[in-house]
Amino acid sequence: MKKLSLRLRLLLFFTGASCLIWLCSGLLSWFECREKIDEFFDQYQILMARQLASADWSSLAPETQNITNKIIKHIHNADEEDEAIGFAVFSHSGEMIFHDNENGKYFPFSPYVGEFRNEKVDEEEWRIVRVYSVDKKYVIAVGQEIEYRTEVTLDMVEEFLTPWLGGLFFLLIIVIYFVGKEFSSLRELTKELKKRRPDDLSALSTVKLPKEIKPLTDAMNGLLKKIDAMLKREKSFISDSAHELRSPLTALKVQLEVLQLTENKSQSLTESLNKMDLCVQRCTRLVEQLLFLSKLESGLTTFDEKEKISWSEIVAITLDEYKENIDNKKQHIITEIGTLSPIEKGNHILLTTLMRNLLDNAVKYSPEGAKITIYISKDRIEVHNSDVKISANHLRHLSERFYRPAGQKENGSGLGLSIVSKIAALHKCKIEFDNQGDGFSVIISNM
Amino acid sequence: MRVLLVEDDRLIGDGLKAGLEKLGFAVDWFTDGLEGEEALYQAPYEVVILDLGLPGQDGLDILKKWRTKGRKEPVLILTARGDVDQRIIGLNSGADDYLGKPFSLKEVQARLNALVRRSNGSSLPLLTYKNISFNPQTRQVTLNGKEVILSPKENNLLELLLLNKNKILSKEAIENKIYSWDDEVQSNAVEVHIHHLRKKLGRDFVRTINKIGYILEDK
Repeated sequence: MKKLSLRLRLLLFFTGASCLIWLCSGLLSWFECREKIDEFFDQYQILMARQLASADWSSLAPETQNITNKIIKHIHNADEEDEAIGFAVFSHSGEMIFHDNENGKYFPFSPYVGEFRNEKVDEEEWRIVRVYSVDKKYVIAVGQEIEYRTEVTLDMVEEFLTPWLGGLFFLLIIVIYFVGKEFSSLRELTKELKKRRPDDLSALSTVKLPKEIKPLTDAMNGLLKKIDAMLKREKSFISDSAHELRSPLTALKVQLEVLQLTENKSQSLTESLNKMDLCVQRCTRLVEQLLFLSKLESGLTTFDEKEKISWSEIVAITLDEYKENIDNKKQHIITEIGTLSPIEKGNHILLTTLMRNLLDNAVKYSPEGAKITIYISKDRIEVHNSDVKISANHLRHLSERFYRPAGQKENGSGLGLSIVSKIAALHKCKIEFDNQGDGFSVIISNM
Repeated sequence: MRVLLVEDDRLIGDGLKAGLEKLGFAVDWFTDGLEGEEALYQAPYEVVILDLGLPGQDGLDILKKWRTKGRKEPVLILTARGDVDQRIIGLNSGADDYLGKPFSLKEVQARLNALVRRSNGSSLPLLTYKNISFNPQTRQVTLNGKEVILSPKENNLLELLLLNKNKILSKEAIENKIYSWDDEVQSNAVEVHIHHLRKKLGRDFVRTINKIGYILEDK
């Protein structure tokens, strides 16, 4: 079922509750009035009965009934008000000797004297009380139609409840107005969010908002800020990537054109093809690194399972991959791998990538015959290469994306150390670059 | 036409040098910003191609230094960044033209020719002298409307003479203008080229001024 709006629910609830209270108070006043009116009319009946009882019924002339009949008829014509009261006078033997020529003449005789009884008279419900006359020779019955009492009660309750109903109506209008007014800030907020352009990530105004909604907008503003930062990061990543891809593409294009300009193609074909192959390799490597880094940055790489890491195995695999390059440059590898390391558990694939990138840099950027040391101990993982020093100015920027220091003869994406930094951070480690001893060191240690 | 190329990217630099040389330019290529800056003072270059994303020394810094020292060689800037802002900064720093990567060799050639024409005070695409005309873009030479085939070096020498009408050009100046540092120059190379030009374009094409040099008189 569709959830009703908060505003509508508030209004419905309030209306319902008001009506219920109104009904309850109506019922209550009904019972209250009914009781009071019964008390009042009962006393009135008893009073009337007592007055009739004090009369001397034994000296009643036979024609009195007829005269009374006429008088009563006359009174009735003059007065519309009918309190539906009737009376009759009975002898001990149950013979009716006098009545009011109206309802009273149908009152039955009954031995129950001295108490109120609800009896049926001429199809109507009557409340009748009977008393003995003062000389105890007669029984006087005084009754009132119950329906009359109900009507009087209803009249009273109605009189009492009508202004209440009007008040309730005005109250509801006021409530509707104020609830609407109080909700206007929410509506404004919705309107503002609806008409917002998707690239507008500025904070929502919280000045006019009630304090119930403010935490929500504050949270929303926090989210907007985070999205903004993420978008900016993504944007600069995409634009950096596109720019970085332009260079190898330009190289490829220029080399192709050179080949097109060459008349004797067979001669320089091999050389040109090799150069173009290099360009494509560069593009490929760049794209692979970019994808890897973007995966790391977006947090898509699942990093839940933490395997036990064998550094000696990782180093052995990596060294094997670079064996040819190392031999070509006549470089020397020294490994010192202890049983403990800052990263005991982690993701095997990521850490292999980390080691591969570090070794790749060491082999690429140190000269022929250089010494490369891989040192792993309890407090650090260090890759050191001799004969290379990096100025303090460059050291600061090394882990930035696409940063490549001066005079690079080797092809590189400028992403390797960014990736290494990211992987180290994922394993709660920090990375430092430093000129140490006769060369340059990358050191990974616990934060 | 002698071109100074300062580009750190090995593959782009290599391709530009090889390609431009095939198109008749004499190219000196430097990968380092500092060396490239110094190179401009060492030889008479007609035009400079400068990469902005140079490591060590930014291309714009080199350009500013050249301009403050009064060097007027036209400079074509290459960059991977194609933003308008960067172009404006580049042009305000004294660049004469701007080319964003990826570019084509033909585009570089056309821009270089336009820059050289402009710096020589001519905006006509064709260089002419009497009944001879030369198209710097296609390197095509015609005599009385008929095409004449010249070797690349002869082509460059003709262009140089046409760009410097009524000026005496010494043998050394010509050597410096049409050869790059990588070319091996024989002592009588210029004389040989002049001889070939006269053979193809007419005996009185260039006047020799004894022991000084050559002049193309346009009266």
